[in-house]
Amino acid sequence: MELAFLAPALLFYTTGVLFSFFGTTRDSARLHRLSAVVLTAAWAFHLMAIVRRGWVSGGVPLANTAGFLLVLGWVVLTLHLLVWFRWRVDIAGLVLPPLAQLMVIASIGLDAGSSAPEPHGATPWWFLVHTGASTLGLAALGVAFAMSLIFLIQDRALKSKSSFRLLERLPSLETCDRIGQDAILWGFPLLTLGIVTGFVRTMAVYGKLWIASPKQVFPLVAWVLFALLIYSRLARGIRGRRSAYVTIAAFLIGLLTIVGIAR
Amino acid sequence: MIVLIGLNHDSAPVEIREKLAYREVEVPDALMRLAERDEIEECLILSTCNRVEVLVRSYDDRAAAEAVKGFLARERRVAPEQLNGHLYVRQNEEAVRHLFEVASGLDSMILGEPQILGQIKQAYAVARKVGTTGPVLDHLVQQGFSAAKQVRTDTGIARNAVSVAFAAVELARKIFGELSGRSVLVIGAGEMAELATKHLVANGIEKIVVTSRNVTRAADFARRFGGEPVEWEKAWKHLEEVDVVVAGTAAPGTVLHRKDVQKVVRARRSRPLFIIDIAVPRDVDPEINDLPNVYLYDIDDLQGIIEDNLGDRRRAAIEARRMVDVHVQSFQHWQRSLQVAPTIVALRENLLEVGRKEIERFQRKLGEMTPEQAQAVEELTRAVVQKILHAPIRHLKKLADRGDAEGYAALYRDIFGIETTPDDGETDGRDDAVETGARREGS
Repeated sequence: MELAFLAPALLFYTTGVLFSFFGTTRDSARLHRLSAVVLTAAWAFHLMAIVRRGWVSGGVPLANTAGFLLVLGWVVLTLHLLVWFRWRVDIAGLVLPPLAQLMVIASIGLDAGSSAPEPHGATPWWFLVHTGASTLGLAALGVAFAMSLIFLIQDRALKSKSSFRLLERLPSLETCDRIGQDAILWGFPLLTLGIVTGFVRTMAVYGKLWIASPKQVFPLVAWVLFALLIYSRLARGIRGRRSAYVTIAAFLIGLLTIVGIAR
Repeated sequence: MIVLIGLNHDSAPVEIREKLAYREVEVPDALMRLAERDEIEECLILSTCNRVEVLVRSYDDRAAAEAVKGFLARERRVAPEQLNGHLYVRQNEEAVRHLFEVASGLDSMILGEPQILGQIKQAYAVARKVGTTGPVLDHLVQQGFSAAKQVRTDTGIARNAVSVAFAAVELARKIFGELSGRSVLVIGAGEMAELATKHLVANGIEKIVVTSRNVTRAADFARRFGGEPVEWEKAWKHLEEVDVVVAGTAAPGTVLHRKDVQKVVRARRSRPLFIIDIAVPRDVDPEINDLPNVYLYDIDDLQGIIEDNLGDRRRAAIEARRMVDVHVQSFQHWQRSLQVAPTIVALRENLLEVGRKEIERFQRKLGEMTPEQAQAVEELTRAVVQKILHAPIRHLKKLADRGDAEGYAALYRDIFGIETTPDDGETDGRDDAVETGARREGS
């Protein structure tokens, strides 16, 4: 059982999120640094839990939803740490690490209820590409989601002119927009790859392409939304508030895929 | 002791302040004239548009204060009674605290403004150059610098903008991040618009387009900032490409209408547009703020931000005063140790003298010694004196820290038959004594 690693990981998660929270309310760079350090520890324990899980099951632990969530959470945290160390976007500490932590908790919960393992119809190689690309893709889009959320908060604050206090701690609108765009440009091809390989798997397992399950519908809807987003952005220069709303919706719909897998 | 005599924006109206203020070139001579007076041991003059303060060290506070008051009245040709009620006099701990608070920006008209620290540094440099500061004021001013530095870095007292132009720059940064490479359209080439533009340029804005109904003013403005003047009628098409708009015309009504901006929203491809309306009455239709990715701030919005920031500074000032207090105590501690320094020096000299005399006496009995032997005996005497004095000196210093060494120092002098009074030791010698004393204490 990888709980021996996950328990300390969760402890570090909680501490890191608390540091991040108080770092934001007290506007303390020191607390944000502490949060990053503690979250790095959480990251390490989380990774060890994944390795341990893989060791026991003899492969990459993406065989069922619990494993998938465990890896997805870790990738989300990895991206958060990368974004933090690169751009020092402190406020993201209030969105991404809690998201990752929730995934860990959900994963433990699913393990306890021992969700059925995914049917191994496809070759393990395809399977790995499918889950790996989906995980990375969703995590990158998670970063875009966080940035869009921050953009909207910032936009609202600037328009209403009321909460200047909060504004101080947020990255500039253009920074949110740029990081969000980068995340989408990385996440979209991965999501595409995940979906295509997903169809290959469905074909192999069920003998047909379309089985109208939520795990096919939601990612497709999300994919269409992201495709529209990228088109309108690159071709027509539409960004800002409207594209932030679409990003948030698309990510949440994409996240519903997990519901489809868990079913 | 330390005395500070002065007036500031709170205590005196500008008519009085400007009469008393020294021009930079006048300060060195004034310092030298002041230092010639018997009551003054060390002095420093701080003269800015908001305050004139004279900081002195003397042995008689009251006499020094009177001397400085008379000096100021005479030098600046002001009737002494005119200064009554405007000049304040602070002594000792209060004077130290006042100086530290001034250096930290706690006494400034705009709380936390950083300029004053530079002005004090300048005043100190001048006084040092003409030689009117000594060990005490040197130490005092240095301690003041550390206090100011700590306040600045450890509290938020100087963090956020408290002027309209700075608030505008901060908002622009919140929207665009870096301002380098950004452009601005200035509507109306007035004074306020110029100030805002100056700050934007200082923070990286590179391209400036300016328009005014008065063509020559626009051209003048553009020349000053290396910008491009455009005709009033053709200015609106620049809304398509600029990032920031500064509007500050004297027009009686709205100049920039919602439809003007609405027209360019599509062409701007959702790039954010930041509009600063500093005109009264307002130049820009407030409804423009409702357009997507357009952020409009008028003068009241900016004032609101400044009010918030001032509130922050006032809260930070409470913390800052606590920090200043620590530095005041630290300086007082140093100064108290100084008071017993002459006694300590005299005590040591006295006993060493006894030793020397005894050596001489014994030499007659023992005959000539080799240089090595003589040195050994000398060292032995020193060591004995040191050992004997170790406990009494430590005791005296401890009393000095608590502030009640005066009586004991007198007692010591009585017992050992020392003639000196605490105040006529050489200042340099006293400084050394404290230094070496402290080092021995530590070893």
